[in-house]
Amino acid sequence: MTFTPLNIVLFGIIALLGVGFYGLLITRNLIKIVMVLQVLIKSVILALVLAGKLSGNLGLGQSTAATVIVADTIVAVVGLALAVQVRRRLGTLDVPQISSMRG
Amino acid sequence: MAGIIVALVIGLPWLGAIVVWLARNKHPRLQHILAVLFSLLTAAASIALFMFASSEPVIQIPFGKAFGALTFVPDGLAVLLTAIAAVIGSLAVLFSVDYMHGEEQLGRYYFLVLFFIGAMIGLVLSGNLLFTFFFWEITALCSYGLISFYNDDPKAVAGGIKALIITQVGGVGLLVGTLIVFANLGSFQIADLLGKAATLPAAALSLIAFSFLIAAAAKSAQFPFHTWLPDAMEAPTPISALIHAATMVNAGIYLLARFYPAFKSVPGWAMSVLLVGLISALIAAVSALIATDLKRALAYSTVSQLGYMVYAIGAGGVFASQFHLLSHAVFKALLFLAAGSVIHSVGTRDMRRMGGLGRQMPFVRNVFIIGALALAGVPILNGFWSKELILEIGLEHSPLWAYGVMLFGAGLTAFYTFRMVWLVFFGKERDRLNVHRAGSAMRVALGVLAAGTFVTWLFFGGLNNLLVTTLPFHELEHESLLELVTTILSAPATWLALLVVGLGAGISWVRARGYRLFGGDWLNPLVESSFGFDSLNRFIVLGTYKAAEQFSRTQTGELNWNILGIISALLVVLVVLWLGA
Repeated sequence: MTFTPLNIVLFGIIALLGVGFYGLLITRNLIKIVMVLQVLIKSVILALVLAGKLSGNLGLGQSTAATVIVADTIVAVVGLALAVQVRRRLGTLDVPQISSMRG
Repeated sequence: MAGIIVALVIGLPWLGAIVVWLARNKHPRLQHILAVLFSLLTAAASIALFMFASSEPVIQIPFGKAFGALTFVPDGLAVLLTAIAAVIGSLAVLFSVDYMHGEEQLGRYYFLVLFFIGAMIGLVLSGNLLFTFFFWEITALCSYGLISFYNDDPKAVAGGIKALIITQVGGVGLLVGTLIVFANLGSFQIADLLGKAATLPAAALSLIAFSFLIAAAAKSAQFPFHTWLPDAMEAPTPISALIHAATMVNAGIYLLARFYPAFKSVPGWAMSVLLVGLISALIAAVSALIATDLKRALAYSTVSQLGYMVYAIGAGGVFASQFHLLSHAVFKALLFLAAGSVIHSVGTRDMRRMGGLGRQMPFVRNVFIIGALALAGVPILNGFWSKELILEIGLEHSPLWAYGVMLFGAGLTAFYTFRMVWLVFFGKERDRLNVHRAGSAMRVALGVLAAGTFVTWLFFGGLNNLLVTTLPFHELEHESLLELVTTILSAPATWLALLVVGLGAGISWVRARGYRLFGGDWLNPLVESSFGFDSLNRFIVLGTYKAAEQFSRTQTGELNWNILGIISALLVVLVVLWLGA
């Protein structure tokens, strides 16, 4: 396996994806879930730019990436705001505990 | 023009379903009026469709490569069943105005009824097997919803679930057959299957043929799936008349008749069809002998008469089966609705508590007797001509013993029919019941059906012509009404059958002493377990229940497990793609 720029970026995408999924699998803390979701989305952004480069539509890839950055910032903000509310009302951030409290 | 009419017969009841639903349950009068209006319009459109019958698709809606076009083909078979569904549907809705008077949740009731009518019409008109399957499933769903309409009654809920699961077995059969057709021909069009059946590999064709037979047997409550229909009698009686006697249970017969030209050369298929019909006709007739619940007795007789139709298809008499289907739909709807007005009036379904009701309800008694005479096969009424036609074909094209069994079944039919008439309307009153007269909407529906029982056999010639000219693959023979009358009246088989019918009726009059007219301790448990086949059906139902319960454990509601599921599904897809599917 040679270290061409393409391979390095691909490796980065897969690594970020793996970290994100692994994180989602094992995390119980709500804030950490928001964090690993961010990692997951970062790999997607990277993949978008790479796809733009490979298909010759660099501008399209980059503009899509910029859109996703905006959208995922909103996801992070709303997610964290929810986490704050959950913590205030239920006194815990542990997801299984929150689930067991449902009506 | 034909396309507009086809769109109307499916669209009108579905539009009506939504409108009635939107009318809210606070305005029951408006709901009654809207439901009757839309169903009558559908009936009018369905009769107009007779003028536009053709073997070519009149509507083609492209649905992409995977599904092929959604086509509607108004050929003779489809138009006949459309008219039955729409006309009897409108009469059942009209009957419901009195029957369901004062009930809660009429919106749900009429929604399901109208939705069912549209789906049933779509099922028979569709020229695309995949969409036939969709409509098939919608009818099963509506049937379930209506059997369990009184959803605070555990028996009604259990009956509905049983009907749903058993007919799903049939649905799976239909889907499997459909997918095999697609895998081999690359098309879902029914015309393609009928035209190219001979080019299919023999194994594939016989697999399709027997899957469709399972589908038909489950839907039409034939052996060995015949136990759901009696349990479905918890539904409101207009529903029993419409769905479980006149229309939905005919879907299986329709399927067999539709694909008969493709499957008739499959070794063993025609014989299996014949046997399924024969066994169903016989054991249902025996069960009807001792049933004490009026509606259950009628349900058994439905299974038995559907058995006659299946038998006719097995013997090659596609037209005879459809002719009997028409007669049966009319007189059985009449019987059910008449039974419904009795039940509505006295508040019980138990025939042991009835008796002597004829004096208080002369009109209902008269129309019930007309229906009963047609069911027993007494001359002039429509049931006589169609049943004799089936027996005639059975004598010519099936083994002699099979004909003998069916002849015996005709005698049993006469016996249990007159037993029913006697128990309900004659004899002395066994219980003090509060009887009131049938309402006027009920009387109109009953009167129309009773008139239909006298006259539908006169359509024989026109119907025959219609089917012959619009079914290119079926190779039916031309026959006029006059020829039918002369052949049937001159055949010795007819007189033999009449003798048997008379014998059955005679025995029932002689033995009409109490409610236990026949059978006894050895027959009761046998019928209760449907000759042991109820255990098979219960196994299917309980097996589905248990599997569903086990499967529900995978729904933990925990995020991590769901993520695991998503990732593993992704991995599976990746591996499949990588291996080059």
